[in-house]
Amino acid sequence: MPKIELSQQAFFTYLGTELADSELEQLLTIAKAELDESADADGIVKIELNDTNRPDLWSTAGLARQLRVYREATVPSYTFFSHPDHTADSAERRVVVDPGLAEIRPYIAAFAVEGAPIDEALLNDVIQTQEKLCWNYGRKRSSIAMGVYRTDLISYPVRYLAADPDATGFVPLGATTRMSMRRMLSEHQKGLEFGSIVADFERFPLLTDDNGDVLSFPPIINSDRIGAVEEGDAKLFIEMTGTDMPSLLTACAIVACDFSDAGYTVLPVTVEYPYDTPVGRHVTTPFYFQRPASTTVEYVARLLGRSIEPQELIDGLRRMGIAAEHADGTLTVRPPEYRNDFLHAVDIVEDAMIGIGMDSFAPEVPSDFTVGRLLPSELYARRVTSQLIGLGYQEMIFNYLGSRRDFVERMYPRDQWQRACAEHVQVDNPMSENFEFVRRSILPHLLIAESVSANAVYPHYIFEVGKIVRRDPHDNYGSLTRDSVGMLCADVEAGFSLMSSHISVLFYYLGLQYSLREVSDGRFIQGRAAEIVISSRAVGRFGEIHPEVLEKFGIQMPCAACEIDLDSVMEL
Amino acid sequence: MSADDILKSLHPLEVKVLLHYGSNDIFDANRIQEDVGLNLGQCNQAVSWLAAKALIVEHERHHRTLYEITELGESLAADGTPEERILAHVSRNGPAELPRIAEALQLESRDVGSSFGALSREGVLEMNGAKQVSVASGTPSERMRRIRVLLDRARGGKGIAAERLTQSEREAISGISKKRGSAGAAFRVVERDEVTYRLTEAGLGVQERLQAAGITGEEIGALTPQMLKDGSWRGVSFRAYNIHVPPTRMVPGHRNPYCEYLDRVKDKLVSLGFEEFDGPIVETEFWNSDALFMPQFHSARDIHDVYYVKQPTHARGIEEPYLGQVAETHENGWRTGSSGWGYRFDRDFTRRLILRSQGTVMSARTLPRARIPGKYFGTLRCFRYDQVDATHLSDFYQTEGIVLGESVNLRTLLGFLQMFAEELAGATEVKYVPGYFPFTEPSVEVHIKHPVLGWFELGGSGIFRPEVTEPLGIKVPVLAWGLGIDRMALMNLGIDDLRELFSTNIESVRLRRGN
Repeated sequence: MPKIELSQQAFFTYLGTELADSELEQLLTIAKAELDESADADGIVKIELNDTNRPDLWSTAGLARQLRVYREATVPSYTFFSHPDHTADSAERRVVVDPGLAEIRPYIAAFAVEGAPIDEALLNDVIQTQEKLCWNYGRKRSSIAMGVYRTDLISYPVRYLAADPDATGFVPLGATTRMSMRRMLSEHQKGLEFGSIVADFERFPLLTDDNGDVLSFPPIINSDRIGAVEEGDAKLFIEMTGTDMPSLLTACAIVACDFSDAGYTVLPVTVEYPYDTPVGRHVTTPFYFQRPASTTVEYVARLLGRSIEPQELIDGLRRMGIAAEHADGTLTVRPPEYRNDFLHAVDIVEDAMIGIGMDSFAPEVPSDFTVGRLLPSELYARRVTSQLIGLGYQEMIFNYLGSRRDFVERMYPRDQWQRACAEHVQVDNPMSENFEFVRRSILPHLLIAESVSANAVYPHYIFEVGKIVRRDPHDNYGSLTRDSVGMLCADVEAGFSLMSSHISVLFYYLGLQYSLREVSDGRFIQGRAAEIVISSRAVGRFGEIHPEVLEKFGIQMPCAACEIDLDSVMEL
Repeated sequence: MSADDILKSLHPLEVKVLLHYGSNDIFDANRIQEDVGLNLGQCNQAVSWLAAKALIVEHERHHRTLYEITELGESLAADGTPEERILAHVSRNGPAELPRIAEALQLESRDVGSSFGALSREGVLEMNGAKQVSVASGTPSERMRRIRVLLDRARGGKGIAAERLTQSEREAISGISKKRGSAGAAFRVVERDEVTYRLTEAGLGVQERLQAAGITGEEIGALTPQMLKDGSWRGVSFRAYNIHVPPTRMVPGHRNPYCEYLDRVKDKLVSLGFEEFDGPIVETEFWNSDALFMPQFHSARDIHDVYYVKQPTHARGIEEPYLGQVAETHENGWRTGSSGWGYRFDRDFTRRLILRSQGTVMSARTLPRARIPGKYFGTLRCFRYDQVDATHLSDFYQTEGIVLGESVNLRTLLGFLQMFAEELAGATEVKYVPGYFPFTEPSVEVHIKHPVLGWFELGGSGIFRPEVTEPLGIKVPVLAWGLGIDRMALMNLGIDDLRELFSTNIESVRLRRGN
């Protein structure tokens, strides 16, 4: 979820009014946004945006636009867009695309702006928009990357080329010497960060002007001359390259509308492709490609739970900046230029809901009758829990992730580590070695608890009923999640016979006959460990924890422990 | 302590001592033994308790050195000392070599040697020319006679006080005494303070009250089965206890309050007609996200948000027709009326195994087998790639659920949220705001006002997108909701660190109380 910083003063200017924090908080809900931090000493406000499908809200102008539209209930109108039936005048502003890009990074959209010298707040906002759009919406520049340039230094047409990365070079922004595009991947910070997007291609994308002066190496880095925009520049050229035409055109529209709202004139650019694109070979951008979306008044009413007049819907949608028309029960909406999130009629329903106002939908007590039920495994776990509480046990609850050290190395003799590791489900991308293994037994956690609790009054009787995960080659997922109970007694008197008594009480009340079988298990003292067998099926083990295990956990009190597979017991 | 409390706190031993003496009596432990008929241990207890309560006070203190006869001393007194026995042997049997004497008397040759040394110095015995011990004067020395007197005096007694010995007796006894570890010596030396006591004013006051109340110290302490059997409890009175004595700590079997809270929420949901679901911790990308219509390129599906399983990396297969229908819905909307995401669905990636990152997984998994109308919920352990701190855990619980029905809609959703807020969280005020979740549209967040802690977000909810429900075979609207159960638990338990919920500290779990 993106978080943006904006200048409160600029924001209020866009909004056309000033708001107290409480008013702003309230208003932000219609944009699914939250005030994260009020204005600091420099007048910077932090806002969190929750809707990942509304990149148009991730800038000062864009967020202000949605809030202003809502307050004023007027759909904004932008005249610089081309659309399938209309091509705006782009004069000499052209981008010519090299056929070699079709397989690398096929699409580009561009426009120029002219207006007042750009100030610090706007420059910061443009940089922030670029970052948020390209990182969150553009999948870390892989599907959308954006560059801003000084128009005065550009000779049209701009050329979008597939260049030889070793033979082509320029001075990148942030460096002082010329280097090849190949070297930028290994030596320039942006190359290291984003190089993987293009590294596997034979040729790399390059933008130059008609004189061959480099604008940038998209999606990596601008040149240090044409691409070095500063405060005070009044004429800018903006381009975006990418792999997905709809999201590229949406991003282009968002930035163009932002500049327009900031008082700049947007000057369209025509892109000439040597190959087909979803919107043709000659595309003048910003380009409005969205198709009308439609639904029925009845559908909206059914989903929202009350009858709605068509006009109420149209008014509600207008507050969200959406023009809608009604005819014969069908509602047709025109998505705003800067939005591409109308996939289904339900998306219209949500905007209608917000525009009409949540307060106008009264909660209704549900009337369908259904029978509530706990899972059999939950009921069984509760039976076991109440028996153990009766035996004097303290119930514990632990995290399921842990370390190789606790789950394997401390539990087993060294020659069994490899086998024990293979029995665990492990995390491929652990945050730290402390959370690398999914537990396949509750015993390590019980021993960890004992190891940090030597100061608690003895005896310690503790248990947990919880889940464990076991590798299982026969399963579709290669593992099984099981319900398990682990018990531990730590005390001078704790031993096999004490645990044996507890187990006999437990199974008596569970109504199950069991027998014991000697078992060799490195976690327990040899000859003091038993397998619990019911109907010739092993359902658990218990015994005296081996002193070597206790020593590895730093425990200086004898411990007896038991673990029972509740799923097996329950099936009997 | 008030006089009444003191009265109640008195042990029968104390009562008996207090009642026995008058204002002018001076007494010590020995005298109490004789006067009151208690043993020494009881006397010492009574004296120390009474002194602590300032009911008696020390009168005088004398330092005493006492010679107590040891077991060895007793046998020497009975059988004779080595010196006496050697003298008698030689007198009776004539001269003999030292080893012969040791053999005949079954004495250590070391003892025979040192005894002869002392006797020859005192001229009682001597060594003749044949290296044989022979009689010199033949009469016991003064020292020997003194030792015999002392041994006889001490036999079976309580020891001899040093001040009752003459100077020469003292010299003789100290030669056969040891201070500690008295093995090998006839006497042990005991240094002891002998203290005498008298009643204080307070003690006399309590005595008066005891007499007035008729308390004798003969009251019954414990009622025994025997007394009930033979009826001897009749006619006796029971000693009053000090009911203010702090109780001894007990460590009972005890539920974990966090688990108890989770159970209570489950029970509440069952009472509202919800049926519980559960499923595997290891999941596929398919159920974790694809089935929820989250595009495979969605930012929340990044490597830095989900834990991937190391081995095996992929499930063998995904159940059809769900895989095909979900894939097509992502690509072009399938029959859902949606445009889809317009990208090529990756059928390998969808089998990638991960640790379940959201409870909504099980809502999706439940859809294909759900009844209509139907209400389902689960409290499920979820895993996130997060730095662990007070507000983030690597694994934690989410409580999620769904409601299926021909007639469910936004208003019934709000109705459920209101019910949860009131029934589960005891909210006094509820607020609904638009929310965003990739799998619901519309989406609603519910904020509640907690009576003490103010506004907070109780959970998120919405109506499942048709792109979620239809590929899984469900044609009716489905309400979906999730509660921030761990945060609700923190509030309920009055703690502010999520890690505390899964504490490994036995003492802190023992002491934690639920609400």
